[in-house]
Parts: sequence; structure tokens; C-alpha cells
Amino acid sequence: MKLGRRKFIGVGSAALVGLSLKSEKKMEGSFVNDSPQMGHLLRDRAGFLAAKHVEKVPVVIVGGGIAGLSAAWRLRKRGFTDFVLLEMNAQPGGNARWGENEITAYPWAAHYVPVPGPKAVYVRELFEDLGVLKNSQWEERYLAFSPQERLFLYGRWQEGIEPAVGLTQKDRAQFQRLEDLFTEFRKSGAFTIPLELGISAKYQDLDRLSFSDWLRQQGFDSRLLHWYMNYACRDDYGALSSDTSAWAGIHYFSSREVEEKGPFTWPEGNGWITRRLLERVGENIRTSQMVHRIAQTHRGVSVFAGETEFQAEFVIFAAPTFLAPYLLENFSRLHDFVYSPWLTANLTLDRYPDSRSADPSWDTVFLDSPTLGYVDAMHQSVRTHIDRTVWTFYWALVEGAPAQNRQLLLEKDWVYWKEAILRDLERVHSDIRQCVSRIDIMRMGHAMIRPTVGSIFSEERRHLARFNDRILFANSDLSGISIFEEAQYHGVEAAQKVLLKLHGRP
Amino acid sequence: MGVLLFISVLLVAACGLIYELVAGTLASYLVGDSVFQFSTIIGTYLFAMGIGSALSRYIHRGLAYRFVWIELLLGVIGGFSSAMLMLAFAFTQGFELILYALVIVMGVLVGLEIPLLMRILRDRYQFRDVIAHVLTFDYLGALGASLLFPILLVPRLGLVRSAMLFGLINAGVALWSTFLFANQLPGARGLRVACLVVLCGLGVGIAEARHITATAEDNIYADDIIFARDSRYQHLVLTRFKDDLRLFLNSHLQFSSRDEYRYHEALVHPGLAATPAPRRVLILGGGDGLAVREVLKYPQVESVTLVDLDPEMTRLFSSHPMLTKLNDKSLLSPRVHVINADAFPWVDSNTDSFDFIVIDFPDPTNYSLGKLYTTAFYRAVSRHLSAQGFMVVQSTSPMFARDSFWCIAQTLKQAGLQTYPYHVYVPSFGEWGFVLAGTHEYIYPTSFPSGLRFVNVEGLAALFQFPPDMAPLAMPPNQLNSQVLVRTYENDWKDISH
Repeated sequence: MKLGRRKFIGVGSAALVGLSLKSEKKMEGSFVNDSPQMGHLLRDRAGFLAAKHVEKVPVVIVGGGIAGLSAAWRLRKRGFTDFVLLEMNAQPGGNARWGENEITAYPWAAHYVPVPGPKAVYVRELFEDLGVLKNSQWEERYLAFSPQERLFLYGRWQEGIEPAVGLTQKDRAQFQRLEDLFTEFRKSGAFTIPLELGISAKYQDLDRLSFSDWLRQQGFDSRLLHWYMNYACRDDYGALSSDTSAWAGIHYFSSREVEEKGPFTWPEGNGWITRRLLERVGENIRTSQMVHRIAQTHRGVSVFAGETEFQAEFVIFAAPTFLAPYLLENFSRLHDFVYSPWLTANLTLDRYPDSRSADPSWDTVFLDSPTLGYVDAMHQSVRTHIDRTVWTFYWALVEGAPAQNRQLLLEKDWVYWKEAILRDLERVHSDIRQCVSRIDIMRMGHAMIRPTVGSIFSEERRHLARFNDRILFANSDLSGISIFEEAQYHGVEAAQKVLLKLHGRP
Repeated sequence: MGVLLFISVLLVAACGLIYELVAGTLASYLVGDSVFQFSTIIGTYLFAMGIGSALSRYIHRGLAYRFVWIELLLGVIGGFSSAMLMLAFAFTQGFELILYALVIVMGVLVGLEIPLLMRILRDRYQFRDVIAHVLTFDYLGALGASLLFPILLVPRLGLVRSAMLFGLINAGVALWSTFLFANQLPGARGLRVACLVVLCGLGVGIAEARHITATAEDNIYADDIIFARDSRYQHLVLTRFKDDLRLFLNSHLQFSSRDEYRYHEALVHPGLAATPAPRRVLILGGGDGLAVREVLKYPQVESVTLVDLDPEMTRLFSSHPMLTKLNDKSLLSPRVHVINADAFPWVDSNTDSFDFIVIDFPDPTNYSLGKLYTTAFYRAVSRHLSAQGFMVVQSTSPMFARDSFWCIAQTLKQAGLQTYPYHVYVPSFGEWGFVLAGTHEYIYPTSFPSGLRFVNVEGLAALFQFPPDMAPLAMPPNQLNSQVLVRTYENDWKDISH
């Protein structure tokens, strides 16, 4: 190769500059667990193959997330094993999926469960089954280790996410007043988990305005208070507080007892629960089985997946409900089911970045960041010396319409999202690029149901929840909020309804 | 001849720059603020060189003779500059005064060199060649020195010996010049003798440099540092003052050889002597082998398993003669099995049962160490305890960290164990506390191994008595999800320091 003189000088000086700059680590990674293509096959009503085989099975569960797995768990716990669970993806778990590398297991989405309150009977039963609750004591190792949460604000760290630094007298008074209001709502008994056991028309007005409007109506104008409430909505619902029903915003703060114990978490997040459930129901599960049609017949229901027709008596539809119009015949369009698009990423770190002498926490949040921060998978390790780890980075795309953001998720390439994530982290961890060796990114167009204004008391939603025919709906989106307890509740309830119809007892 | 002359220009230039760098580096190390030190030293040095150049015009005759003397003087002053500065810092108040005086003297001498050389060479070459060659080699020498200094000299030789090496070169150039300019030097023999004397002096200096550095450092640090190393996990420093050896881990004192017997006898014997027929013993932490030494005083103990995170620590205490003398080569005993592992995961994965377990970790100063003081950890450890077994836990000071001490005792109780707290006075630590724990009642032993210097049957009961200022406090147990102990410990010590 012949180099011109000018080019030679250019190359030479570039090499010199390269030597003098801190070199960025070579970063690997890709999009993982992509499922939009499969979903789009359904949306576009692609030509699916005709069934070649017929299987008769009394019960078919569609969808292997927490709702479907919980239905399966209940069926098997009652001694009923004659069912199949069809999961579209290669790995079951839905929003409770996990990954694993040579350092640790890590979550792909949901990563904790709060200590269940007295009404969450099914969660308590499950936790006893899984050894989380032993001799009426919570297993210490499964509770999030201290220090749990930290917030970076004004160039420094504080413990906890609720801002406690730089508050004015007015801010403090407003935080206190809001807490008192939440306590009142808690005492009312109308804000429960599961939601269905407490919901009361008395508070239906709160579903008619947004959470941020309600806060302003109550006279709250503290910037930090609004930031925190907005953060809570983004984190739990993937929505701005101005796009969230006030009822749902209040439910987040008023449905749980204030206590210092929890939450429960594991290195792989709720993937730990998925793993334990798979140990119990794994033999009934068929993965990579995309259901493309569900048809009612005079004898029962036929579920078409791949080249097989499953002839069932009952179907538990535990997949996200928005899929129902594409799968069921004569199923009308849904109006009150809006879903939030999300992005999660798992970052492999070969060392911890400079944290300005703060102790590593389980959950880290930056004030005024558009993202939700990250969770440290090694935090639940009992080791004293930890050098490498995996961080799970969460980002709900909340600005603008969900459809636009879904488009953005698909349009932009891996490098774009990788850079966006690193730039966000770089604001606090200036040496992050020297620490990270891999970034895998998961895009979820319909990550979770969004509790929009009017959606909690929606007639459409109530109708589907009470649907009690040969097809039973079970996804957490029936509650209007996407949390582990609701998914498990609907899954177990649907299984009990099926058992009642089959055997006369739940 | 010509090339040799210009090589000597190169060497002389290198020497001049090295002395300047040595002064700047030493001042930065010892006083700090490297930007200020280098700026002022370079400035002063260059200014002094200007004075030297100006002074050169007053030298009229005997140019070669004076050049040789200047080289010799530079060899002595520059060569010993680093040693002089270190000693000045260690033993005098006037470090800065001596520093700048040296810089000025060396600068003046260096400033004289080049003008004199040029005048010596004036008659041999054309003027424009002299200027060109001398300056070229001058700058080349400076480049060579400035690269050698950080890459080779400081890391390999250190500052004291680097300066001396270049002193040797200066003196060498002087000696060589007596031959180069022989025709201009009538009394060359006397000069050559002086050169040899200086060369010998510097040679001896290089051989003895270690002592000079050590003497200076001894006076800079209170105690003699005999070992300092960063392992993967911690910073280990071993110091000695007369017959007192002290180990510091991350700047926290671990033991003083003068009174560690009190600590380690109290840690091991009250529990072990009360354990019937102890055969298997587990020690978590304690890589110094001092607790092992006490355990090995029981002939019925067949095996001691020592689990310590840091291989550097156990290697040091298995091999360093001063330390193996202190621990009686305990880590080398065939009865002892050393395992380098993180304690909590090791306890979780191991299934052996032990008759006596010693838990001797550093104080809970951070959340990582705090995990080793939780109910979850003690539950996991107690699964390894045989039916008649006891465990004992190093539990910080019931005097200085009273809340922390009783928090640890409460944590052991919460883990389902019966607890027997006691304390001991260790002069280098102050009052120190331990908690014995087991699943059955503790009865005072009626005999101890012979040769103990502190623990005895008569004095034992007193250790279990707590006077009012160390009396029990109601504290919550320490758990993984609360880590109250780390916060408590921090507050305890904050209270002391205020």
C-alpha cells in the first residue's frame, strides 16, 4: 500500500493521539430477546400453516409469563396435570425473564416483589412454597440488602430515592402533607393488592384526572415533589404522571404498608420466581409455540399453534390482552388498553466505576435523568469482595405517544441506544466506558399496561375480567397496572375457575 | 577527537538536567504541590545558569584547568544532592533553604560549563561549527536525560542513586578532560588524583545509598516500616519499633506483638478449653496465624481449618521470619489447612462440622464487612457447629463501641444461639470484647493449657463481668437488609472523636 505524505502524517498523528487518550474498552453486545417480528406476523395476519396434528387436552394456557405460570402452578398444586402451557418465546417468564453470564444471573425486566400485605394471600402461599416465608419469618437473604437505594443529586449522593437534600421548608411541608394524604387513602381500605379486593366506586372520581393534575389541585407545587411522583409513575407504569390516572398514582403509595423490611429481590430479579415455578410446572410447558388462532367450537375451544390444533375444553388467556383481537374470532377492538414501550439493558462491568466514595447500592437513580437508573445484580451476593458485576439499566420511553416510541425503538440501531445509555451513566460515572465490556439491549414495544386516565374503572376492562366462559382472561393488564401480584392473582383465579367448572371445586 | 569532545558535551548536558529533575521530584514528593515545586526549581535553576554564563567572562586564563574543577565540583554537589536533600528534610527545619541554595550552586556551575567549553574549542574549529555542534549535543543530552529519568532511573535506581550515577559521569568527564586537554594542563597529575578521589566517593555512595534512604525514612515515619504491600484485597503494612511489631490492614491496627497474646489467648481459650474433646477447629479470618498458634496448644485438636480471604496475608505469615517467630510457624503445622476464600460463600457451600469455631474479622467498618456480622451469617455458621461445640466472635470494643458490641451479641441471640459475652484489656487496643455462643450452657473450664501468659482459671469469671460503663444495652439485631451495625459502629466512633 502506498501512503501519500499527507495521509501518512494524518495516520501518524492519529496514532499518537490514540496513544495519549484513555482508550475506550472494546464494547460488545446486541439486541436480545427481540419479539416484534413475531408480533407483527399476527398484526399483519400473515398466512399461517394449516394444522397437521390434533392434540386433545382439557386445558390450554396461552402465555408463559407470571400469570400463565401461576395458573399452571395452581393447577398442579391441586393435582391437575392434564394441561399444556404455550409460550411464544424460547424462554418463558415474560416480564420476569432473566439472563446469566460468567459473573452472575441478572433480570431482564421485573426485579423485585414488595413484602406481601395481608390481602395478597396467593403471594404468601407461593412464598411459603418457595421458602421465602419459613416458620412465619421472611428469609433474610431474599430481602434487598442494605444500602438499598441511592439518588444522585446536586453532585452528591443521598440514601433513598425520595429527595432529602436541598429541600426548602415548603418542600418538606408538602412531602409531609402528601404522606398524610396517602395514609388516609391507605386507611380507607380501597387501595389494595390485589386491586380487585378493595376497589370502590367511592374513589372513581380519582380515575377521571391525571395524577399530576390531582397533585396540583391539592395545592402541591414543589418541584422536587413533582419530580418524585413523576419518577414513581415512570418506574411503575412507564408513564408520565400527567399520563397516569390519579387513582393509580395514589394506589402506588397507598396500597402497601410502610415498613423498612422489603422488598424481596434476587440477583436475577423476579426471574428467580420464574425459575422456581419452572421447576414445578416445567413439564407442561411448550416453548417457541406461537398461538395464531383461537376458535370456539361447539365442543370447546381450539387453539392453533404452529402446525398443531389443541382441542381444549377451557383456555386460560394469560398473554397480554391486546393480542386477543388478533387471535380470537369476532373479538372487538380494544380501546382502554394502552401499553408503555420500554427498553432494558444489561451492562457487564469488569470493575466498578468511580462512585465518588458512595457505597454501592441495590438501586441507583439520577435526579432529572430521562432514564430510571440501574440495579446491581451482585448486590444480593454474600461475598465481601466483589470486583465484577452486571447492571440492569431501565428506561421507559414516556415522552410522546407510545406508538411513536415503539417506532423509535425499532428504527434506531444498537449503537444509538448504547451511546444513549452510556451518556446517561457518564454524567455521574465519568469512567464508565473503561468499566463496561458488554451491553445487551432488550426492546419491548408493549412492556406493560399503562393506567391512563379512566382506565382503572373502564367497563371494557371489567367485562374482560369477569369473562367466565370457555375462555378466561388472566393477564395482569386486567387490573390496569402491571405488577407481579396482579399477574399472579389473575393467573391463580383463572385456574380456580377452570377447576370449579371441571371438578366442581376450585 | 572531535566526536569525543562533543560526546562529553552531551554527557555534561544530561547531568545538568538530571540534577534539576532530581531536585524537582524530591521537592514534590516531600513537600507536595508538584506544579509549584517544578516551576520554581526550573526557574531558579535557569536563572542561576544565566549567572554562571555571565560569570564566565571573568575567567581569563587556565580554561581547561577550571573546566575540570567545575566538573568535579558538579560531580560532588550534584551527585550527593539527592542524599543531602533527603537528610535535610528528615533532620532539619530548613529543607527549602537548602534546596534552593543547592539549586543555585548547581545552576551556576552548569551555566559556566558551556561557555568555557566553547572557548576551549574556539581555536580548533570555526566559530559557527562550534556553536552548532555544542548546542546540538547540549540539547540531545537534555532529551536523553529527560527520557531516561522517568523511564529507567527513578523506577530502577531511585532518586539517591540516580543523582550519584550522574555525579560519577561528571567526575568521569573531568578525568577524561585531563587527557583530552593534556597539552593545556601542566599539573594534570594532581587533578587526576582529585578525580579518582571523587569517583571513589561516589562509588561508595552508590553502594551505601540504601542506608542513606533508610536513615532518612526512619526519621520521617514514626516506626520502621518493614513491609508494605497492596494485595488484591487490602493494604498491608507491618511496622517495627524496637521489639514491637505492628500489623495494619487498610490503616487499621490489627495487633501489636507486645500485647497480642492477651487478645489471642482471650479469643481462643475460654471457649476451646470448655469444649469437650475438641478435634476439629474452624477459624474464619485470622490469617496472621496467631489464633491458630493458641489452638495448636491443644494436643487433642486434630485439624484446624483456616479460611482467610487474602493469600498475600497467609503467605506473609507463613514465610516472613519475624512473623513466623511470632506465630510459632503455626500456619506451617501439618494439622493446619489454609484456605483462601471469601468466608460467607465458603460457609454456605462447605458441609463439615466443627467442635470450635473462631470468627475473627476486621471491625464492621463498611457494608461488605457488615455482611459477616448478620443473623444470616451466624445462622449459616451455626449449622457447622457440632452438638457440644462453641463459637466465639471478635465483637469490637464494649467500651468505645458499646452499642456495636451489644448489637453483635443480640444478633447472635437472634440467630438462635445462647450467648456469653466477655471482655479483656489489651493495652494497644483498649477494652476489647468477644461473644461466646453455642446451643448449650457454657460452664467455666477447670484447666487451661500450660504456658499461658494471661488467661487462667482464677481470673476467668472476672472477664464475664461488665462494669456499668460497658453494661448491656438493648440493641436491634444486625441483618443483611438493615445493616444497623455498620451505622452504629460509625456513630460509636464518631462519638469518641468528638
